[in-house]
Amino acid sequence: MNLPILPTTVVGSYSMPGWLERMKTEYFGRRISRHDLDEIHETASKAAIKDQEVAGIDIVTDGELRRDNMIDYFVERFPGVQIDRSSKKFYYDFYESSVVGKLPMASLGLADDFRFLRANTERETKFCITGPHSLSKRIRNEFYPSEEAFAMDLARVLNLELKELVKAGARLIQIDEPYYSGFPDDLSWGVKVLNTMVEGVEAKIALHICYGNRYGKPSWEGSYRYLFPRILDAKVHQLTLEFARRGGEDLDLFKEFAGSFDLGVGVIDVKTNAVETPDMVAERIRKALEVLPADRIFILPDCGCFHLPRDVAFAKLSAMVEGTRLVRKELKN
Amino acid sequence: MILQLNHLHRDHAAASAQDVIAVLYKLLEEGHIEQSQFAHLQVHLDWIQYRQSFREAVTVTRGSRERSERDPVMEMHVDARQLVSDSLRENILRAMMRANPGPVGNDDRLFLEDFKSFRSSIAWEFNRLYWHRLSDWERATGRGYEQALPGGKSDANHPDAIADCVADFWTLLRDLENKKQLPDEIFVLEIGVGMGTRSRIWLDHFRKLDQARGTRYYHRLKFLLGDYSLATLERSRPAVKDHLELCSFMVLDALDPMKTLSFLRHKILHIHLTNVYDNLPDEELASRNGRLYLVQARAYITSAESARIANTFQLPTADIGRMVNLLLENGPDCFSEHSRGVAFWQEIWKAVRLEERVVSLEDLPDAVLPAGLHLSHLEEMLREAPVDFRFHLSSGALESFRNTLPLLYPRGFLQVQDIFVTDLNEYRLGFHGPGKLDGSIVNWVNGVLLREVGERAGYDVHFAPFRYREGSRTSILYTTQRE
Repeated sequence: MNLPILPTTVVGSYSMPGWLERMKTEYFGRRISRHDLDEIHETASKAAIKDQEVAGIDIVTDGELRRDNMIDYFVERFPGVQIDRSSKKFYYDFYESSVVGKLPMASLGLADDFRFLRANTERETKFCITGPHSLSKRIRNEFYPSEEAFAMDLARVLNLELKELVKAGARLIQIDEPYYSGFPDDLSWGVKVLNTMVEGVEAKIALHICYGNRYGKPSWEGSYRYLFPRILDAKVHQLTLEFARRGGEDLDLFKEFAGSFDLGVGVIDVKTNAVETPDMVAERIRKALEVLPADRIFILPDCGCFHLPRDVAFAKLSAMVEGTRLVRKELKN
Repeated sequence: MILQLNHLHRDHAAASAQDVIAVLYKLLEEGHIEQSQFAHLQVHLDWIQYRQSFREAVTVTRGSRERSERDPVMEMHVDARQLVSDSLRENILRAMMRANPGPVGNDDRLFLEDFKSFRSSIAWEFNRLYWHRLSDWERATGRGYEQALPGGKSDANHPDAIADCVADFWTLLRDLENKKQLPDEIFVLEIGVGMGTRSRIWLDHFRKLDQARGTRYYHRLKFLLGDYSLATLERSRPAVKDHLELCSFMVLDALDPMKTLSFLRHKILHIHLTNVYDNLPDEELASRNGRLYLVQARAYITSAESARIANTFQLPTADIGRMVNLLLENGPDCFSEHSRGVAFWQEIWKAVRLEERVVSLEDLPDAVLPAGLHLSHLEEMLREAPVDFRFHLSSGALESFRNTLPLLYPRGFLQVQDIFVTDLNEYRLGFHGPGKLDGSIVNWVNGVLLREVGERAGYDVHFAPFRYREGSRTSILYTTQRE
């Protein structure tokens, strides 16, 4: 990858416009067709990519605007998972879903989304996918003897999917596992399952762990201390964590536990509409530089920008890029 | 004509449906009402009001004559309880004449403002004055504001209700602790503290429970008492004297507690409010023939009342409006003699009424719905709602609610005790304010909209009737985190 020092990226999702939300609701109300919704999604995704480029982001995503939320987009694609389609009031709600038999190995078809992203930008790209632990927390298990066994089979299917993505050209893939923070005791098997998912995948793998961003608010609180030392066994190249909203105290864990990971440092609080200044961003980056060298740090928001208004999301990303430039300049001098 | 019987108490009614219809036919025959108006008129009977309210016994609300009005709304509200026998014809005729354009206008009223959304009405300035100068009012009436409540005391302080609340909270703490997610500092916030009685009972219960179960949570508590009146906060302080080391007193705007408490975003485990939402600025919408209308209001005093007040206070009648403005700006000290100022305030408040009209939202492109409520969401809700009804927008309550939720710690909960309309059909069954409660405004709160806004902000909103006192009209709203 040809990237500047302190590369900037996003966690995955971009601002969901109110009109797109209404279009999705129209679709669920059978007032517009699937074909129309697909076209709307494509147009919105192109705009999201363009916004990231204009803001100056080095590694862009497709904005995940096709996804209702981080679970259902995948759940709908898993053969063998049953969905109660009446269980959703807003498009953003989770479906009630369950697994009643062994999951068959089959593609989820996500490579098409990646190809779309690749075709619409010259920048480096990242593709994000929800991890097996988080999926296992939302799909009711009515077949497997344990959560771990279920998550392991999810990981096997997702492993196949990651390889499909790599075949399509993906070089940086992010796995989202926010539910680790809600169920820290699961980490012992969660890492095992994660390693199954990434086995043999020839791409740089980032692991995003936050404290949740449902409806733009945290689902849990605590310290990232629970991750250590188990997380050091995870076969990933980067950890992507939130530090802007929660403060940088947990950065010290990277002094205490010497891992080989790069660190994706969350420097933008996505749970408030208040826009950071470049100086605030720069200060947060400097704090991270006290524990890791610049060539192991990526700069990004705490989590997806899904719940932020578009103008706020754009302004925050622009401030993030500007703040990063300030620090790059200092490093150069 | 459509006659809508909302809530007819035959026993108390001074006028029956038959009487009203007979008068209207008579007025039609006599040419006081046009045939087309008669056909379009919607008559609401009985429009039961608060004993002290802003409306006259018969009012006619009509649509403003804007370009989009193809079929102007005209509706009559009859409050049978206020009517005096044999005055029905006179009241209806007067209300109809006033609603019609023409020489018979409003010269029997002294207007204190132009038409505007109720939320912006001067009526709320009186409400603000009441809370800021509460002791002046109480001294003059010789009774505390809680004594002015129906029943003479507040349900907020019911010990059994508070004990249940404390027990729920303790369970939450234990659950979080088991999951290793209990923060070191346990923040609790009470907004609208009154005399501090509820806070005291709550803290007493909590300490007792904590000691009985040996959990040592009590000393980790940071109990915040918030109110927008410093005077009220001061009065609440002695009540919690046994817990002062845990308590902080904060002046905050109930409409936006985040302004004061942004440093506690996502940190407060329990927030409680009692009888706050029913006293926040509000406005109303009316759904008519598939269209939405904003109810606009303008405050007035009848000429007879203004003459009487002028006489009592030895003022030129023409000065009444100016003196009202001075009163709202400076309080009762606008008179050289303080007690006269308070007496003037009370007389004016008693006399203030609201004239109403409705304006189509299409004619108000700048009309802003409360944050968190989009017009398309509202329209979607109204698909399931009764046809042609009028409802509170509860904009102040919605604003407060939406600006309070971000303070909650994950899994923390908000509890609000108030008078809620929890089903839109209830609006067809009676009148839910605004009314006058002593010197303040009381208004029911549209719980259905709160539920909608809450769900979109990530919280399921539930309502439970207040079961601790028979006949109580309050409910308890509580939130649970939406997964």
